[in-house]
Amino acid sequence: MKEKLEEIKTKGLEKIENVKNTEELEEVRKELTGKNSTLSEVLKSMKSLSPDEKKSIGMLATEIKGVFAENINHKEKELIASMSVLKEPIDLTIPGKKVTRGALHPITQMRYDLNDAFLSLGFEVYSEDDISSEKYAFDNLNFAKEHPARQSMDTYWIKGTEEKEGSERLCLRPHLTGGSVRYLQKHGAPARFVYPGGAYRNETTDARHERAFVQYEALIVDKDISFSSGMVLIQTILEKVFGRKINTRMREGFFPFTEPGYEIDMECLVCGGKGCKVCNHNGWIEVMPGGVIHPNVLKSAGLDSEEWTGFYINIGLDRLVMMRYGVDDVRLFHSTDLRFLKQFK
Amino acid sequence: MRVSLNEIKKYVDLPNNLSDKQIAYDMTLRTVEVDEVEDVSKKYHDIVVGRILEVKKHPNADRLRICITDIGEDKPVQIVCGGSNLYEGEYVVVSKPGAEVVWHGEGEPVKVEETKMRGETSYGMICASSEVYLSDFFPSTDETEIIDLKGIECKPGDNISDIVEMNDTVLEIDNKSLSNRPDLWGHYGIARELSAIYNVPLKNLPKYELDRNLPEYHVEIQEIEKCHRYVAVEIDGIYEKESPIWMKSLLSKAGQRPINAIVDITNYVMMIVGQPLHAFDRTHVSGEKIIVRNAKENEELLLLDNNTSKLTTDDLVICDENAAMALAGIRGGKKDSILPDTKGIVLEVANFSASTIRKTGKRFAEKTDASIRYEKGIDTQRVDEGVNLALRLIKEIFPDSKIVKYKDTYPNETNKNKIKISEKFLDKRLGKKIPREQIEQILTSLGYELSYNNGEYEVIVPTWRSTGDVTIKDDVMGDIARILSFDSFEAKPINITIEQPIIQNDITLDRRIREYLSYSCDFYEIYTYPWIDEKYIHTAKIDTTSSLLLATPPAPELAYLRSSLIPGMLEAIVKNLRYYDEFKLFECAEIYQKGDYRPSSKDEILPIQDNYLTGCIVGKDAKEIFYEAKGIIENMTRYCHMESIKLEKIEKPAWADKNAYLNITKDNEIIGSLGLLSVQTMTESKIKRTNVAIFEINFDKLVPYNSRTNKYERLPELPLVEKDLSILVDKEVSWKKIEESVKSMAKEVEFIDEYKGNQIPNGKKSITLKVRILNEGTTMTSEQINEKMNTILNTLDKECGATLRTE
Repeated sequence: MKEKLEEIKTKGLEKIENVKNTEELEEVRKELTGKNSTLSEVLKSMKSLSPDEKKSIGMLATEIKGVFAENINHKEKELIASMSVLKEPIDLTIPGKKVTRGALHPITQMRYDLNDAFLSLGFEVYSEDDISSEKYAFDNLNFAKEHPARQSMDTYWIKGTEEKEGSERLCLRPHLTGGSVRYLQKHGAPARFVYPGGAYRNETTDARHERAFVQYEALIVDKDISFSSGMVLIQTILEKVFGRKINTRMREGFFPFTEPGYEIDMECLVCGGKGCKVCNHNGWIEVMPGGVIHPNVLKSAGLDSEEWTGFYINIGLDRLVMMRYGVDDVRLFHSTDLRFLKQFK
Repeated sequence: MRVSLNEIKKYVDLPNNLSDKQIAYDMTLRTVEVDEVEDVSKKYHDIVVGRILEVKKHPNADRLRICITDIGEDKPVQIVCGGSNLYEGEYVVVSKPGAEVVWHGEGEPVKVEETKMRGETSYGMICASSEVYLSDFFPSTDETEIIDLKGIECKPGDNISDIVEMNDTVLEIDNKSLSNRPDLWGHYGIARELSAIYNVPLKNLPKYELDRNLPEYHVEIQEIEKCHRYVAVEIDGIYEKESPIWMKSLLSKAGQRPINAIVDITNYVMMIVGQPLHAFDRTHVSGEKIIVRNAKENEELLLLDNNTSKLTTDDLVICDENAAMALAGIRGGKKDSILPDTKGIVLEVANFSASTIRKTGKRFAEKTDASIRYEKGIDTQRVDEGVNLALRLIKEIFPDSKIVKYKDTYPNETNKNKIKISEKFLDKRLGKKIPREQIEQILTSLGYELSYNNGEYEVIVPTWRSTGDVTIKDDVMGDIARILSFDSFEAKPINITIEQPIIQNDITLDRRIREYLSYSCDFYEIYTYPWIDEKYIHTAKIDTTSSLLLATPPAPELAYLRSSLIPGMLEAIVKNLRYYDEFKLFECAEIYQKGDYRPSSKDEILPIQDNYLTGCIVGKDAKEIFYEAKGIIENMTRYCHMESIKLEKIEKPAWADKNAYLNITKDNEIIGSLGLLSVQTMTESKIKRTNVAIFEINFDKLVPYNSRTNKYERLPELPLVEKDLSILVDKEVSWKKIEESVKSMAKEVEFIDEYKGNQIPNGKKSITLKVRILNEGTTMTSEQINEKMNTILNTLDKECGATLRTE
């Protein structure tokens, strides 16, 4: 009997040792320690033995059972440690599952970047409607009566009003600046606000010229400020947009609504200032006209020009976005072409 | 305008070691943007003077000659040439190998090489003027005529650019950038700016001593508001001849074609001082009298080509006793032409008001070099500069000429503006204190006169800046700032004092919605034009009665301004279907309708302008994209923190499918719609093999919350019991009805699925819903759960005729 038990033990341990997976192990567990196991069979056939024998065989059988259980548990741990959730290895070079997400228009993204920058400087966001009148688009802004921009070759007038004058002659706004007087009339001074939006001009279009473009204008009106404060503002904004310091230069410029007026150029990021097609080979890109608000404009806004002063900066968002990504055709912005828009996720 | 730096250097000694590029840069920063710096000598490289020593017949070609030519090198060279005017001893222009010439004066430049022509070696070529950019200097009558340098001092080997004075740099400035500075429309004005920029003296223009005892020419100005001054000089001994090379050279560089000496002198003077001049053939002026008057009704001006120009009574004309000779300040007629039989001239140097010239010029839609200058506003004193320089040049080029009559009629003088500026104003606005000497130096060099008294400058503006350019103290401050260079001012920090927080919920909502659509719902944002293609207005069935139109649209079919964003979206869909089958787009923009909207003042009545939002989902499965669009609208209020909106079927949008649309309402007002595009709209728009769900909302009607509004709910202490039910109902039973009947009995009811398929009996559909139930206070036993579920099923049966679906 004893020999039989020893044989069961040896064979049993061998079986455990040869188990390949947890399912097999369960089978083996049943076979070796279950009700119908050979060990149980042995114990059942003990009736014919003497009490002493019963005792020693019984002890031996229990001990073997314990050894089995221990080995099975050990084997189980061993198997789990080496197990994989996958039946077989997978191709790790297959690309991961796509994340689908749309995108804001690249100009909207730039607009939000600038909004964040200006909000931190205490600027309010204001918006004027697309359709304005000659009074707000030109008269209030010190444009001479015969200024060429007032002609239909330059400005989109609304049919039926094109021959009228002033507040009755309506147009798609040719610039955002008219909104500055609207704001100041309503809110007074001091003021500091930005007013982004679309502007429209009757132009022949090509890779560098559009009829519809997006601008971002900022205005500060206060006492005791000098135009050189504009420099800081511009540098802050460019640094925010491009993530590093950008070389700029401020040069003479003329606009009816400023005195003095200036143009702010940034170094061309496409060629690094060396000169290329994008910058017309001079290394600088005109991005921001600006200037000190003209006393006549303050007057239209109902403000005393002896007391108040301020300055504009106007950022051409199309141009700035073109610089940010190296876009070489301004018409793409209004193309609605997804092949273009999908690049700005 | 094109500015010759050699000419500038006649009037101002610029600092040494200053590169042309630096000059252009300094001018760009302080005066006006220089678009281009052009080395005009460049194109003349390897083009030299040659002297033909021998002309031989070409053995293989009748029309070609072999010219043994001295080009100043060790040995004479052989050049094959087809010129018709070759002779031995002739001084010619030779393009050596390496030069770049324009074949027969047409097309792109081509590099000259040493070649064989019909078997004979040719070292370069002997050139005609159009081939080597010399047409301005040596006009030719026939293509085969080569340049004959007879009478010009030169020797073989001389660079041709030296001979025609083209070793120069030209600064190109966009005329548009000069529109506010009438004083810069001549070289002398630019020289004055450079003298101020570099603080070097400006030389005086040449003077001419006129005999004051001359008899008077008869001049009558009838319109003294339009003609402020008129100088007429009658000169004898003027005839048609070529002008000297130096004058042709300057005109050529300035972009003016030389014509004959007298016309060239008038153009030259204009290029130097900016004052237009006019010369009439003396014999063409009938009655020896010039009258400046308004044109008569139906009067016409006879032009050189014998056509006529119709005039109006607004137009100012220069007339003799009989008829109009010229349109004042704009263009001449037949009578002012200098012709081969001209023997004397009447020279006009006049000042016309800017508005007159602008008005007439606009009607003729033609700008001339004279009108461009007059319409900017020229000071009357500039007439003197014009007269002086012109008379000096005439004396130099026509030494035998004689001034016989003279008259200066001067009814209206340009006054110098006077402006007071306090030192305090300057310090404050400039942001730093500029020493008095520096201010005086800058302003004086620009021509200002100034005195200082007790903290205040009194500034007298020079006449050439007093025609509208400098009128207020800010203008003078601007002059100081720009000459110092804006770049030289230290950037001053801006103080921020926060008085009130900036809360702009509408701005924030706009951003939230765009970000929700892009980032959560997978949409791409598009920008379209405010004018839309008529075609898509028709396919979208948009009513145009209250639409606005552009007076001069970009194209005839683009005259309508959008009164809906749908047509623009349709066009975008059509465009993108070429490359993609499935996509989602949205746009936020204004739409316009006739109406009465007064945002700022009572007298300004604008059209109604509302911000709209539109979006589309393009995909094959109509039902799926409809519910997707619906879900996006339903979830928008929660994700974007705004007041709730409802979806109800009230009124079909024109573009929508009759079976799949809903209106978006807020407080019982329709503020937008959602639906599938109708088959008709898709067919007409050429949207094929796909479906489109579209929504459109009036953005301005959406109301943002000031802050987060949802309340925290305590977490349930007891577990919710969740049960899925699949029921069979008649097809017509709506989900809403099912939901309503169960709602009161369950904590939550959720739609899972609708199914109509093979296993479902005809006229029925299967709905799967999830209910979550809960007993207040105690855990539910399985009996209680069963009891509750039975009640729910009974109610569903009673109200909706539902039966539990057995698998």
